[in-house]
Amino acid sequence: MQRNHENTAIVLDSTADFPEARERFANWRVVPLYVRFGDESFRDYVELGPEEFYERLRSASELPTTSQPTPGDFAATYEELAGFDRVYSLHISSRLSGTYESARMAAGQIDGDRVRVIDSTLASAAIAMLALAMQRRLERGTSDEEIEQLVQRFKRDAGLIFTVETLEYLARGGRIGKARALAGQLLHIKPILTIEGEVVPLKRVRGNQKAFQEFARRFQKATTDDPGWRVGIAHAAAPKRLAALEALVHDTRPQAEIEIATTLGAVIGTHAGPGTVGFFWFHDP
Amino acid sequence: MDQARDLETVKELVAAASAALERSRRRIDDLNVYPVPDGDTGTNLALTARAVVTALEESSARDRPSLAKVITRAALLGARGNSGVILSQIVRGAAEALGAAPGAVDGSTIASALRSASDAAYAAVREPVEGTMLSVIRELAEEAEEALAEPPARADLLRALVRRGEEAVARTPEELEILRQAGVVDAGGAGVLELLRGLAASVTGEPLPETNGSGDELRVEAIHQELSRYRYCTGFVVEGEGLDARELERELEVLGDSLLVVGDDTALKVHIHTDSPGSALEAATALGVIECVEIANMHRQTVQREERLAKTIVAAAAGLAGVVAVVAGKGNRRLFESLGVTRVIEGGQTMNPSTAEIVAAVESLEAPDAIVLPNNPNVILTAEQAAGLARKPVFVVPARSLQEGLAAMVAYDPESSGAQNTASMTEALKEVGTGAVTIASRNVEVNGSRVRKGAYLGLQGEEIVAGGASFDEVAAAVVERLLDSPREILTLLTGDQQPELEGLLGEIAERHPDLELDVQAGGQPHYPLLLSAE
Repeated sequence: MQRNHENTAIVLDSTADFPEARERFANWRVVPLYVRFGDESFRDYVELGPEEFYERLRSASELPTTSQPTPGDFAATYEELAGFDRVYSLHISSRLSGTYESARMAAGQIDGDRVRVIDSTLASAAIAMLALAMQRRLERGTSDEEIEQLVQRFKRDAGLIFTVETLEYLARGGRIGKARALAGQLLHIKPILTIEGEVVPLKRVRGNQKAFQEFARRFQKATTDDPGWRVGIAHAAAPKRLAALEALVHDTRPQAEIEIATTLGAVIGTHAGPGTVGFFWFHDP
Repeated sequence: MDQARDLETVKELVAAASAALERSRRRIDDLNVYPVPDGDTGTNLALTARAVVTALEESSARDRPSLAKVITRAALLGARGNSGVILSQIVRGAAEALGAAPGAVDGSTIASALRSASDAAYAAVREPVEGTMLSVIRELAEEAEEALAEPPARADLLRALVRRGEEAVARTPEELEILRQAGVVDAGGAGVLELLRGLAASVTGEPLPETNGSGDELRVEAIHQELSRYRYCTGFVVEGEGLDARELERELEVLGDSLLVVGDDTALKVHIHTDSPGSALEAATALGVIECVEIANMHRQTVQREERLAKTIVAAAAGLAGVVAVVAGKGNRRLFESLGVTRVIEGGQTMNPSTAEIVAAVESLEAPDAIVLPNNPNVILTAEQAAGLARKPVFVVPARSLQEGLAAMVAYDPESSGAQNTASMTEALKEVGTGAVTIASRNVEVNGSRVRKGAYLGLQGEEIVAGGASFDEVAAAVVERLLDSPREILTLLTGDQQPELEGLLGEIAERHPDLELDVQAGGQPHYPLLLSAE
């Protein structure tokens, strides 16, 4: 059975930080998570964009909380896509959020295996880039087997590295995992982190420059000098760091393509905090 | 009684109860250690109560039985968490008794409502535990029944109930060991008491007491309660026909703990702590339509609460390797601790610690491996000697100064072994350049010129590189030496007699605009300034 962009749809959740999905691709949909400030609840990106979110975060007396879409939210989207023979639903790591579980539950209520729910084991731009890799295959015609192989290779080979201004947000949101070991509030400590299903500590360094040196070192070690590398960059209200990271990628691997440069939305922003910056790479010529 | 007035009265009472609970929500969250210390009992109870308030606002129920139904259903559908589900049963019990009462609400009606509430709550829990909201509601029922011998006025009865409730809540730590250990009263019980206070205040027209004088100050132990072994607190409602609570309970009990299945044959509220919320929902989908699904990550809730309770208490996970550091100065001690040093031995510059002190510190570490940072050339040998005597593997990372010690600590990872840490920490030592400004204890010669006793001396590593009467000049000379090779961050640790740094910092910023500067009050004696460049 051939899969193409006319018979196969892609569903993301809003933690993919790819709000333009639907405008760019007729076969894509995004299901929002929820962000709550006190008693007010917002749908991520739909009712609360990143800019307003960081603005609000600065003045909020209490930190926001987040919650996954309900199975009903996913079911509604899957039903809306009834015209497609196959739906790939790609989500934030199941160890970071209940979103995957919610999607799986909704998919289970639909006949057969029309909807395939995938745990990306990563977060943010990385998910959007997996979706883009799928879309490239769909547009030229592909099969479920090829998509499956792509997903396996993505989970095995994709690289992701990021740093946060403070570990406090990850700690408060319960997403800190073993990275707690890298704590250090004084001395400009910057934890270098990755996601392997959950947040995993790599190293701690002092100061932003050291952090970027560490980024460059690891990026160089993990990649090669050829044009097939695709990079996604995401930042939380840190445009200067975004620019610095773009320069770093160009300097380290001039042939790599920066496919996405995005702001972290309200949900990921709640758990990582302002000042977070990171990038993701995947070889997909 | 006039039926239109029933609705208004009930609205007022419920709103007052809910408001009283809302006021204490955060305090009750922080009390929550049983059954799982997820710190949300206050919030769950408040949201459950609020659901009843909202339903009443939208309701136009006229007669008592239908009013009771509205309330029962709202509490059931709105119930959150374990405590919320039990509260919904208390509400159901009370509402059923009150809904069936024909005349004015007197002492005997109140007694039968409380008894019915208590019975419903006990029936909902598979293994009732004393020292919880169950025992509090039961004692309230007993108090009301005892009062029937000599019926007091309604306001007096409510005052007596509040007093009995306070006693019952205060007694919960005697009845439940985990509360005693944590030094708290039961959160659910405290919630029931707040609801009662709100009701009583509304009836008697007396104001609520201040919230902070409640005497149940939190103790640190309250944060050390164990996590549930399950991750997700899952709640939902199944609606259908001929639902059998017991049957669903049997299917769900294998999936987790803290299981509650309550309701009637048309709607069941389920609450369970489980690792597979999906399976729980699937089991229920077979019986009817699922609504009001809520899945919360309890580990996250627990962490949030810990943060709130004890921002400064570092999680004391022992890890694989602990660190003992010899440190002079209060500020420096804080810096080392912030990076994860487990034991600090005071001293280094004037007082060198003994081998025995280091052995004792090393052996007091919980971690299997120990790393020692001597932070002074004169302590390295002592540390190595201690390593030979201690009854656990001890690794000495040969830091010759506090600055080197800090650089080594940045590379420390408690989850790695002593040997792995020693390798990366020793590597980090090599990458740091250190300097100091001290005061000459005798006349010395520096680069061919004489520096008098009492003047400033500048050191790079352990070598004297500058001297003179001006602190700024000596310090600037040391800084320039340190920045000979490319560096990203310069750290300045000020001594116990804090030097004036404004001029020096201005000059450094001007000459090295890209350099990150970090000034910390170190508090070490004898050295007005310690510097490190990385």
